[in-house]
This record gives sequence, C-alpha cells and structure tokens, in this order.
Amino acid sequence: MRNSLPAILAILALGVAGQGSNLNSNPQTQVANSLSAHDRLIADAFEKRVKEYAKLREDLEAQMPKLSKEAKPEEIELHKKQFQERVRAARATAKHTDIFTADAATLIRAIIKDEFKGQDRVELRDTVLREADTKAVPLRVNYPYPESEELLEMPATLLQRLPQLPKQVRYRFVGRNLLLVDRENGLIVDYMTNAIP
Amino acid sequence: MKRLVTIAFALIFIVSNANAQSTSPPQKKADSGPGAPITVSLPNKEGDVRFMVVGDTGTGAEKQYELAKIMLRYRQAFPYEFVLMMGDNMYGTEKASDYRLKFEDVYRPLLDQKVKFYAALGNHDESNQRFYEFFNMEGQEYYRFKKGNVSFYALNSNYMDVKQVKWLKEKIATDTANWKIAFFHHPPYSSGAKHGSDTKLREVLEPIFVKHGVNVVFTGHEHFYERIKPQQGIYYFISGAGGKLRDGNVKKGSPLTEKAYDSDMSFMLIEINDQQMHFQVISRTGETVDSGVLPRQAKNGNNRVSSAP
Repeated sequence: MRNSLPAILAILALGVAGQGSNLNSNPQTQVANSLSAHDRLIADAFEKRVKEYAKLREDLEAQMPKLSKEAKPEEIELHKKQFQERVRAARATAKHTDIFTADAATLIRAIIKDEFKGQDRVELRDTVLREADTKAVPLRVNYPYPESEELLEMPATLLQRLPQLPKQVRYRFVGRNLLLVDRENGLIVDYMTNAIP
Repeated sequence: MKRLVTIAFALIFIVSNANAQSTSPPQKKADSGPGAPITVSLPNKEGDVRFMVVGDTGTGAEKQYELAKIMLRYRQAFPYEFVLMMGDNMYGTEKASDYRLKFEDVYRPLLDQKVKFYAALGNHDESNQRFYEFFNMEGQEYYRFKKGNVSFYALNSNYMDVKQVKWLKEKIATDTANWKIAFFHHPPYSSGAKHGSDTKLREVLEPIFVKHGVNVVFTGHEHFYERIKPQQGIYYFISGAGGKLRDGNVKKGSPLTEKAYDSDMSFMLIEINDQQMHFQVISRTGETVDSGVLPRQAKNGNNRVSSAP
C-alpha cells in the first residue's frame, strides 16, 4: 500500500489537473498536510525547490569561517557581506518564478485568501499595505532586503498552513507581494506578486 | 473546601492591593529627574530572581541614553541580575557601528557590571542578532533559560512557524519550574491604537500557554507600558517604550487595561520568589508609574492555570 501511494497521488493529481486550488476550508488553524492530493503535490514540489536553494547556500556557507554564538558586531557584518557575495555569484542566473512557479503561486494565493476573510483581510491589508515600512524593498531576485526596512511579522496562523520552508528561508510580505528571503544573508530568493487578495 | 475559600480570599486581597497601588497616578515628585533619589518598592531579597524588562530600545537616540541612566541608578539600589529585551533591539541599519550606538554604548555601564541581556527579536531585527555576544541567544531565534525556579522562554513572534511551535510544545510539556515566563515582541493583548492585539499570534500561542501553565507574558512592539487584565489566568505586560514613545496611544477605556502609561518612556523591574511576582515600572524621569504584587497562579489537574481573581 505504501509503495502504491505515489501512484495514487499522481492519478488524483491528473484527475484535477487544470483546476484551481481546491482547499479544504477550515476556519481553525490548519496545517499544510490537509491540502488536497493535487495541492499537496504542488506544495511538495515547491518545498523541494526551496530545499535545493537551502542546500546550495548551506554548501557555500560551509566554506566560510563559522560565525560564533558570541560574535562581535564586525564579525556578523563581515559574515553577512561575504555570504551575500558568494550566493549572488552562485545564483547569477536565478530569476523570478524559478521557485514560485505559476502553480505554486496559485496554491499560495488560495491559502492566503482562505486564511484571511472578512475583517481579518481588512486588517491584513491595513498592516501590510499601509502601516508597514517596506517601501524601499526591491522586487528583485538575488538582491538584498534592505536592513533599514521592517521585517513584517508573518501571521502565525498563516505560517501553520503555508508550504513549509527550511529554517534558512523565510516568507515575507512586501506590499501585496510575498517574498522568500534568506534569514542570514538577507537575499531575496524569489517572490510572487498579488499574494494578498 | 474551606481552605480553598480562604486561599481565594487571600489571593483577591493581594491582587486588590496591587491594583490599589498601581491605579494611583504617577507621583510627581519635586525631586524627580535624572539626579533624583530613587525609590524601590520591591522586597529586594537575596535569593529572589531579580531582573529588568525593556522593549523597543534600539534607536541610539538621546532619550534611550537618558532611560539607561535611570536603569543604572536603580540597579545600585536593586541589583537586578539580567535584562529581558522585548525586541526591536536595533532600528534601521545593523552595521557594527549600529551595535555600538544603539546598544553597547547605551548600556555599557550595565555590561561592565556583568548584567546579562537576553534578547527576543522584533520586526526591526535581523536574525543575525542571534549570534551577537551580548544578546545571549546561543545562536537561536527562540530559546529557553532558567534562573532559580523560573523558566524563561524567548520566542520569535515575528515568525511563529510550525518548527517553533513544535519546539515550544516539546520544551514546555516537561518543564517543572514553579514559574514559566514567555517573552517576545508582539502582544497577544494590547490596547494600542496603532497596532492592538495580535489575534493571530494569540490563536496559536495562548492554548499552549494555558495548557502548560505559563504564568506571565512580557511583550513590546507598542511604544508604551500596559498591564493587561489577566487573560485565561495569565498575566500579560507590554513594555515597549525603551527607546521610542507613542504618546497617548493607549485607547482610553479599553476593557483590557489594568494600568497603562503612555506619556513617557519606561522599563520594568521584576522580583520573583516561590509564590509571588513583584513589579515596579519606572519612567524616564525616575517616577514609579505602576507597581504591585501578583500571586503565582494555582495549577489544576491538567496543568492549566486557574483564572486570576
């Protein structure tokens, strides 16, 4: 049975291919594994692409002097700068939608839409579009998220539902866009537009 | 049964006293100000866990330095051992020079006295701060440490993902400390007109706090001080005026507010023994703007704290 599961999932996926995301709506906090089989495949593929990035940057960081848990400010600053340079060089050809492919973006939009309804959506839009201090963040892959800009809190309930990321990469809202940002070197790994309904 | 009733009345008495102390307006002393005498209203006993709480500090502006001078003066009378930082430890850029200007130079006298700072991350803080020697984060965005019979959980409310929630549940489930204290940046309850309660964060964290008997929650983000009426039997405080002030931002008549202070910057002094937590809130001019004593909540069979009177 266990061996036949991928085949069953694939058949289910084919059966619903071409349809939009079919989320199991639940007002309570919902984990990503409650997705339909079709959406689960999309999420898995997305998570795999992010993990590939994480492995690349882990390999690059492993070649650098390790940052101590009691680092001096100069060491933190230098490490970030050098790390950025290495990753930018290694991903010189990376482009928008490499990770947020069209189907992944559709799925994520659907999850966000399902999570934020009514007043919740109004409040999210207020926070992200009006209050947030993120206007100087460039919407460019492989560019750094400016230090001076706010790292807007990701809603906790949403994080329980979105496809799971390795610890090195974070979701971040900037305007209506959703970015993937490396938590140490601060580089924008990819982004998707119109994430917020 | 009779004994339970007696205990309940005793608890009501203690909290009423705290409220009576704290709801009185700040005493405008003629000798207030940076050079004024200081008044410690805490027991100040050897063996108690004594610490300071401050949030949203990292501006590097003159007023942050002024508040730090008051912190230092209070330490001469009340030798707190460590400081909990509620996040937004550094606004703006985070170059090496910023670490000096917005933290080290400000609190140098305390650092020289071996006061340890334990930081949480805010929405203006990069993750790399977790490596900084003086933030004692052990390279982690969320971590736990213990002092006496008190467990402290530093959480990253900016990114409360599945991994962090799992970590918290695992750690706290087997924690037998008398007191469990969580601290992080975004307040689950707030009367702030700008931000207000973080209901999404509350939805995720509060069930864990209630189930596992968290006693006290300290947060920042709102640039004022607020003591929230106990929620689900948990004491919530906001102390986010360590570097910035949002003057007059607490909503008047908010049903959440037990006591609030939003007309100057402030920090908290805390002292915990087995049964009680004493607190005193000090403004930039050295005035005490809130103080009191709260009993440690009783735990019932499923480890849920009972509602405070």
